[in-house]
Amino acid sequence: MNQTVHDELITIRDLQISIQSEGSFFEVVKGVSLSIQTNEIVCLVGESGCGKSITALSIMGLLPADVARVTGGEILYRGQNLLELNSRDMRRLRSDEISMIFQDPITSLDPVFTIGSLLKEVIRSHRKVSRSEAKKLAVRALEEAQLPDASNRLKSYPHELSGGMRQRVMIALATALNPSVLIADEPTTALDVTVQAQILESLRMRQRELKMGMLLITHDLAVVAAVADRVAVMYSGEIVEEAPVNDLFDNPKHPYTQGLLGAIPDITARRGFLHAIPGRVPPPQVSPPGCEFAPRCGHSIDPCWEQRPALLPTSVGKLRCINPQPFLT
Amino acid sequence: MKHVIGRLGYMLIVLIVSSIAVFYAIRLSGGDATAAALPGSATEEFRQEFRASIGLDRPIYLQYFAYISKVLRGDPGRSITNNASLIEMLKHHGKNSLILGGAAFALVFVIGIPLGVLASLRRNSWADHGIMSFSIVGMAIPNFWLALLAVWLFASTFRLLPAAGCCSPKQLILPAIVLAFEGIALTVRMTRSAMIENQNNDFVRTLRAGGLSEWRVIGKHVLRNALIPIISLAGLRIGQIVGYALIVEQIFSWPGIGQALVTAVLRRDYPVAQFFSLILVVLVVLGNWLADTGYTLANPRLRRSK
Amino acid sequence: MIFSTVCNLLLAHNLDVTQGQELNLKKLNTSEKITSTHAVAWEKQLIAYEESLRANPWQKQLQSIAHNKMLLTGVVLGLIVLGLAILGPVFYDADYARQSLRNAHKPPFFEGYFLGTDSYGRDMAIRLFIGFRVSLLVAAAVTALSLLVGVMLGMIGGYLGGSTDRVVRSSTDFIWGFPLILVAVLLVGGLGEGLFPVILAVGIVNVAAITRVVRGEVVGLKEKEFVEAARAAGVSSYRIMWRHLLPNVLAPALIMASYLIAVAVIAEAALSFIGLGAQPPLPSLGKMIADGRGFLRINHWEATIPGIGIVVLVLAVSMIGDGLRDHFDPRLRHERGRKKNK
Repeated sequence: MNQTVHDELITIRDLQISIQSEGSFFEVVKGVSLSIQTNEIVCLVGESGCGKSITALSIMGLLPADVARVTGGEILYRGQNLLELNSRDMRRLRSDEISMIFQDPITSLDPVFTIGSLLKEVIRSHRKVSRSEAKKLAVRALEEAQLPDASNRLKSYPHELSGGMRQRVMIALATALNPSVLIADEPTTALDVTVQAQILESLRMRQRELKMGMLLITHDLAVVAAVADRVAVMYSGEIVEEAPVNDLFDNPKHPYTQGLLGAIPDITARRGFLHAIPGRVPPPQVSPPGCEFAPRCGHSIDPCWEQRPALLPTSVGKLRCINPQPFLT
Repeated sequence: MKHVIGRLGYMLIVLIVSSIAVFYAIRLSGGDATAAALPGSATEEFRQEFRASIGLDRPIYLQYFAYISKVLRGDPGRSITNNASLIEMLKHHGKNSLILGGAAFALVFVIGIPLGVLASLRRNSWADHGIMSFSIVGMAIPNFWLALLAVWLFASTFRLLPAAGCCSPKQLILPAIVLAFEGIALTVRMTRSAMIENQNNDFVRTLRAGGLSEWRVIGKHVLRNALIPIISLAGLRIGQIVGYALIVEQIFSWPGIGQALVTAVLRRDYPVAQFFSLILVVLVVLGNWLADTGYTLANPRLRRSK
Repeated sequence: MIFSTVCNLLLAHNLDVTQGQELNLKKLNTSEKITSTHAVAWEKQLIAYEESLRANPWQKQLQSIAHNKMLLTGVVLGLIVLGLAILGPVFYDADYARQSLRNAHKPPFFEGYFLGTDSYGRDMAIRLFIGFRVSLLVAAAVTALSLLVGVMLGMIGGYLGGSTDRVVRSSTDFIWGFPLILVAVLLVGGLGEGLFPVILAVGIVNVAAITRVVRGEVVGLKEKEFVEAARAAGVSSYRIMWRHLLPNVLAPALIMASYLIAVAVIAEAALSFIGLGAQPPLPSLGKMIADGRGFLRINHWEATIPGIGIVVLVLAVSMIGDGLRDHFDPRLRHERGRKKNK
């Protein structure tokens, strides 16, 4: 395979994932295609339950096997299909080349081990280094994640750190081995607002330092605006729009994206209505026959109900809509 | 550190209160000490003198203090029935009880924890159902009945193991297993549920994302977390074993503290009854304190007061 | 976390469609009616799905109970024991105290004796049934007592805090660690033999357990908003405890109590085995075992039957307790998830 400099690290093609509920399987990820390249931050936006976390977990191979199953598609890392990898090879990739950090740092760290031992354990399971080497690497990872007083912190337990510090530990854990891809699943949602910005900044710095391809999952458009290079909007298990961040904010094409942006209260506006998108996400058990968003769309037409629109390229990105209207503010 | 001292102080108070309770109870449970020591033909005046000589005619609280001071000085007295030194009796019976209790205690964890882990790893399999059924039924079997059945089956009918006596390993097997039985059943259940609960925790996901092997994730991290509640109840296990040992020692004629205590109570041998009750109480309190300390050590969240 | 996501996903079904309403599909924010047949069909499917979820709640409860094998087995066993205890003596007419030394040590099915006789020639079957009665009675009394006192103490200690709480906590810790037998022996020493000291002894130990649980719950609930709101509104402590805390505390207390019934049964049996508790000729399962102890070779039924009785009774109680707990606990999580989305 010929690789170009700015090549694709992760290519997800038509990924389909089903979840088991009350005996039968329902599709919750309905054909997602997405790519992540080196040295860029892709934000995956959508409301709770749209399938973004599940997609992320499937990249890492961490789907809970008894509940969820990949039913179609492929996930390529540097050309290799991760879904076909056996567990040992997948394990080797984790943290070493593809990493993930999670939402809730309070519960995400093993409370009975010091963060130093956790770091060293991850490091030593991928590299043949001595204990003192591992310790040095651990300290360095913590410092690069901007955790103050890193060498002393090795002996701390997770409950002794604040939320922001714990998230930095997670970042250190995930980037200690210099991975190429970092997936961040709502990394700041559980943190205080003041800390959120700092953590985002640290994440972005780290990404630039290592030139990682980063997939940042969030439901918060402010986060998107702050760090994204490219944005993919997800609704009810599908990508409905994809564009570079500025284009998305200036000129959102999909009615759902427009709804999301319109829903942001504007402090500067004088008296207006809080515009909520009426209706709710359809349950996976009863999917609309055509476009997933049609029941809630302000400008749906009959063909929207008949056939599911395809994700087609636009001048700047991709769009899944047959009747887009311009965004009026 | 302050925490540890606090616990020690608490333990002391508990000890004192328990010893008072025991002391009063034994005294109040009535009967006449003289009946055991003196022949029936002794006259009333003689009995009075005897009581006075032992100190039974003074007010109870004075008796208590006198007694405690004697015990602390290392002289708890002598048995009324055979005039044996209580300290000697303590050494002899105490050693036996420790052997039995220790064996039972060890069995509880050596058998209970692995079975529980196994059940949790193979959820809903035959192994799991079998182990859990055993555990549920095991907790329903009264251990004195179990003791009788065990003796009947293994000793009388099949003649595999000795029915009574001390102190060979062969003689230890049945009483230790009977004593440990309920604890094993309980530990299996607790281990299984703790393991299952912890397997669903978020940190497991983080560890897997770190590329650690399943063996490590479960065998080291999940297990370690699951052990916390089990260790915390280890102290109760001690109390339970001490309590049941009374019955088990009786049935198997294992000459431990429990057996001596029961015999003494039946024979109205006050010094023995009193002293050994005190010892038992001390053991229980000590056991609880040890378990408490152990729990604090095992769960880092409690270690430092940050 | 992914599970909650999944649950949210699966439970976010409640579009505000009321039952029986005419299909009224419009394009949102407009008054144009949607004419696409696909749309209409889908809306019908959705309403049907909605309705199926709201299906008869009683049906669903019964369904999940039927699936809960543990609960079922426990209930069946419990009914058997209860039936034997209450109705047994009614239908099986025999005197539990009547001795017949000629007929001593007989195995089951000997002449009229359904389960044989013991060393005094007394009918084992009737003694078993009456023994069940005694065990159930003691267990019920102990549980009632410990619930009453335990809930009260736990609430007082947990809510008032401070030194009251410390006293409550230390005493429960103290009692909890104490071997039951010692407590019982001491109590019997003071109060004499009979059922009452046994009930008291076991009751005290169980009180400790319940107090602990209740106190823990109260301490947790104390910080919740609805308590603060009540306090801010000037409601007296007593009322807060009674009206607000009590209902929330009952559930875990009852769950603990269901465990403790089993404890009470075994404790009573153990104590009567030693000789404390029910006095002869009133049969008690533990005492029966003690009586049969020496005759295992002659007629093992004398000791095995009451033992089996105890096992069945305790199994029934624990299975019911466990089954109930399993039934309510995961449901609780489910219900909470639902409420969040409504």
